[in-house]
Amino acid sequence: MIELERVSYHYPESEPALKEVSFSVAQNEHVVLLGANGCGKTTLLRILNGLIFPQQGAYRYESEPVTPRRLRDKSWSRRFRSEVVLLFQHPEAMLFNPTVYDEIAYGLRQLGVDDLHGRVRCWADRLGVEQQLQRPPLHLSGGEKQKVCLAALLALEPQLLLLDEPTANLDPRSTGWLIDFLQDLRVTTVATTHNLSLAGELGDRVLVLSEEHELIFDGRMEDLLGDEEKLLAANLVHSHRHGSSRDKRFHVHDWS
Amino acid sequence: MHIPDGFIAPQMYLPAYGAAIGLWAYGLRRLRTALREETIPRLAVLTAFCFVLMMVMLPLPGGTSAHATGIALLAILFGVWTAFISVSLVLLLQALLFGAGGVTALALNALAMGLVGSAAARYSYLLLRRVHEGFGLVVAGWLSVNAAALLMALALGSQPLLAHAEDGQPLFFPFGLSITLPAVMIPHALVGIGEGVLTLLMFRLLSQRGWVSQP
Amino acid sequence: MTARIALLAYLAAIVLGTTVHAIGPLALGLALVLALAGREWLRILRRACVAILLFNVVITLSYGIISTLQGSFSLEFVALVNLRVLLLTCLTFLFVFRVNPFDALAFSRSLTFLFTLAYSQSMAFKQALEDFRLAFKSRRIEPVGLRDRYRHSARMGAYFLDKSLHQAGEITQAMRSRGFFDD
Repeated sequence: MIELERVSYHYPESEPALKEVSFSVAQNEHVVLLGANGCGKTTLLRILNGLIFPQQGAYRYESEPVTPRRLRDKSWSRRFRSEVVLLFQHPEAMLFNPTVYDEIAYGLRQLGVDDLHGRVRCWADRLGVEQQLQRPPLHLSGGEKQKVCLAALLALEPQLLLLDEPTANLDPRSTGWLIDFLQDLRVTTVATTHNLSLAGELGDRVLVLSEEHELIFDGRMEDLLGDEEKLLAANLVHSHRHGSSRDKRFHVHDWS
Repeated sequence: MHIPDGFIAPQMYLPAYGAAIGLWAYGLRRLRTALREETIPRLAVLTAFCFVLMMVMLPLPGGTSAHATGIALLAILFGVWTAFISVSLVLLLQALLFGAGGVTALALNALAMGLVGSAAARYSYLLLRRVHEGFGLVVAGWLSVNAAALLMALALGSQPLLAHAEDGQPLFFPFGLSITLPAVMIPHALVGIGEGVLTLLMFRLLSQRGWVSQP
Repeated sequence: MTARIALLAYLAAIVLGTTVHAIGPLALGLALVLALAGREWLRILRRACVAILLFNVVITLSYGIISTLQGSFSLEFVALVNLRVLLLTCLTFLFVFRVNPFDALAFSRSLTFLFTLAYSQSMAFKQALEDFRLAFKSRRIEPVGLRDRYRHSARMGAYFLDKSLHQAGEITQAMRSRGFFDD
């Protein structure tokens, strides 16, 4: 479905954010992108969403290169923007319509779908925000805002759902709910997290970005957990002295 | 309204600095008595607000855009002095940290945008809201841009009169009022409408939020 | 202390640059500024040129057309004004590159604090603004109309003001906790 070939990206006048990253994702895969803060996860998702473009390397969606030029083609851009969607880490950034209803309907109206009302209600129901439809989105709590954003994105029936730290701002109950929800979803997903203990829940294939902005692992969670060296290198686990013991021990902490 | 250094004569920018320094001191003292401990934090965050709003696009028809200022909103919600100091600080940040916008024009810009612009906005709003609040907000936004633009057009247009060589050649900004007035005012008349609409929309969103207290 | 002297020297140089009206001394001044810039002279010159390009090209071209029509065109004026603007802008960039402006303002504790706080908040907001922009781009399937663009701009404005006031409260508490108001 998507392929990245030696993709490098750097922001103007600063260090590289991604170095020669290559991988591909097939239909219906659930991929987790794991890495410490500042390793380039958000940058990578923005590239996958066609918001920024790598200076080197190539990114292809359904074998078509995603470039500014390609996106100037209206019909292709329409297809890409409705099929590949991104849930931002801070949902506030995505909300600007007067009511939750308008927010969910925003993309559907652009696509001109027939049963607008039914589609909005259906996704509001599935995400449990049907009571909020007439409220302004900025009055909602953080978790509710995220649900509204998800409803708005999923209502488009996308092919690829990108999620940037979807659990970072949620309490444990909402986190549990979201994980269950995503597991039932029949959409290809790429989710990022810095939380090793949640990575296994967000997907079945794990990609690890190191603090040097390189892809250092691509495989199953079980194999990653056995690889102490990589976990320490990617700053995903830490070691410290425990109690009265003088030995340093490394272990996974839940630091969400 | 970012005028680089070298277009304004010292005959104008030096007195402008004199006036601005006096007004900055007066404004800060007034705010300190009113806000006490909150003075510095509040001015700092409102400066940041003003800074970021100047990067927000003001959509114009045909897919083009200009920069918003947010000065009318600041003046209506927090008063002329807060707006004046915040705008001045934004100009200082832009000049000192990014080298954007001239230092010589800074005081003049601060007086035009921060003081005249915000006073025009606040008082027109207070006057017109009795007739119609929305109308008052749009007019306030429009005036905040256009009162400042008028002052800058007058300042630029008087450069050839203020400073010229013996043979009459200009030394700084070369055009007189007959050129600066239409060249500056016509585009700003349009941009002002955008600022007015944006002021109205932001004010409405903030009233929904329930914390817009009546000035 | 040295930063304050640099600030005063910089301001004096700016004023001097606007009182000299001869091409020779201004060119000499520019050479001096670039010499002071040392190895960074090219970077400073380039950034200054980019900063003034638009305004100066517009003014120079319109001056060229209007004054030719009026029969008063003076090449000396074109050279003088462009040289002056370039000199003053290079001077500013030299100052910005060499002196930490926070140090230059250190004569007043409140002013330094205000400036630092305003700067860090501005940078945080700038980053959030980028998020807003990209999110809007991401959700845009069809080219957007004026109405949506206004809604979006207004929403951002309201968000930042909301955030500002919340932050003001937080910062005041933090300052109180650290004893800023005690003396």
